[in-house]
Amino acid sequence: MSETKRILVADDADAVTTVITTALEINGFDVTATDNGNHALELATTEHFDLAIIDQLMSGMLGIDVLKRLRLEGNQLPVIILSGVDGADIVVDSFQSGASDFIRKPFRLPELLARMEKHLSTAAAKTST
Amino acid sequence: MTAIEATYAAVVVVLVLGFSLLAGVIGLKWAHRRRVQAHNKRRRSYLRLLSAHLVSPTPTLTLDDRQFEDDAFIDAVIDIRNTVAGDSAVVLKDLIDGRGLINLQAARLRSPFPLGRRLRAVVSLAEIGDQAAGRVLMQHLSDREPEVRIHSARGLARMRYLPAIEPMLERMRYESPLVRSKFGDALIAFGTEASWPMVGFVRVHQHDDDTTGLPEIIRAIGRIGEREVGPALSELLHELENVEICLAIIESLGSIGGPRSLRPLRKTFCSDDWRIRAKAASAMGEIGDPSVNPILFQALGDSSWWTRRNSAGALAVLPGGINWLYDGLISHDEFARDAAAEALADCGELSAAKLRFDSGEGGPRDLRLIRYMDRPGLVFS
Repeated sequence: MSETKRILVADDADAVTTVITTALEINGFDVTATDNGNHALELATTEHFDLAIIDQLMSGMLGIDVLKRLRLEGNQLPVIILSGVDGADIVVDSFQSGASDFIRKPFRLPELLARMEKHLSTAAAKTST
Repeated sequence: MTAIEATYAAVVVVLVLGFSLLAGVIGLKWAHRRRVQAHNKRRRSYLRLLSAHLVSPTPTLTLDDRQFEDDAFIDAVIDIRNTVAGDSAVVLKDLIDGRGLINLQAARLRSPFPLGRRLRAVVSLAEIGDQAAGRVLMQHLSDREPEVRIHSARGLARMRYLPAIEPMLERMRYESPLVRSKFGDALIAFGTEASWPMVGFVRVHQHDDDTTGLPEIIRAIGRIGEREVGPALSELLHELENVEICLAIIESLGSIGGPRSLRPLRKTFCSDDWRIRAKAASAMGEIGDPSVNPILFQALGDSSWWTRRNSAGALAVLPGGINWLYDGLISHDEFARDAAAEALADCGELSAAKLRFDSGEGGPRDLRLIRYMDRPGLVFS
């Protein structure tokens, strides 16, 4: 039996964290949620997570800055950036900064879960090789 | 009672009244804070219940009527509505329809409740409403409260309720500048589908004695930026005598852009009215086509300071325009030289010329600009 995957969810909109947390917990994930970018960075650097879902516009620190700081420190945690902002720039910036994926809000829960599964299995495959 | 005793008594009365008032204010603030905290607590609890309801294969939400009517529940529904899409949004919509939340909010909006309660209702309808809510909101475009009218317009635009465009345009003629501006924003939110109805409305009312609202509508057309309406707006430009409307059309043509917008703008440069020439200069700069550089260069010698200034400003942003501004520095017309020099300084060319000069790479035109700006008595820098 595979071990429970730990997911970090960071968004200052409590509706987003609540929906994602509920959906992930029902699907057997262990979720830690925060509403602050600085706290998200601290959690991601001090604890083990299998994947992070980080909102772009957050109090404390922007999601993309959290991602850049993680990559600067050599942390290869798969990160999905969430954003409610329209425009191609944010998508390009996210991927150039090392995001594994980008999802626009409002989002489809099955799509979020499917993308997460894909990145988790890719990360697991990389670890096993 | 002596005078001193009377003074003491008065001081005591004032102090007691002051403290009572302070205690009252503190009490009210405390009560309000508690109410907000309780509301947020209930909202978070509803968020959890709704989330579980959305992700579970079978319905899990068991709330009584009082809870469904709770403002905190409506807020939670709005938040979730803005978070999820697809099947989850459909489940949420079924919940909204099944519990009659739209009808509930519509009834609150129609009621003589205080403004706060009615505002909450109209915002809820604007956020979670569908076509049925559209009909309700449309009735409140002429509500007695301006805030309700603004939120109704915003909600109608959000749900792209197209039948509302015409009534909104009609309301623009009777509204205050603030409400007109908000209605204009709402019309922009409709996007290109609102462009032609707006052009049609302007066409019908362009010769009215009272043209209130038309400039805002025309500017909204420009901000939508549908290029197909450019020629129709240009036609209006040649038929009109109302300067305010002409200025709005010129501004919109600048925002819409493209060669079909540029042609009528060239013609407006022959206008006797300096306001039209000045606005046309800015619009040409916004369009960004360098073919107008010679026209703008000529306008550096215009009789109006605003036209000279805007023409120079437009040249500063157009491709190759900087060279024309440097040519303006050797014009025989002192006003043209001043306008060119000011625009060159404003766009950072003066600093660049100084840097080039200091590093030994400066040319004669750099030196000309630096010397021109160092002239004694020059009022700008």
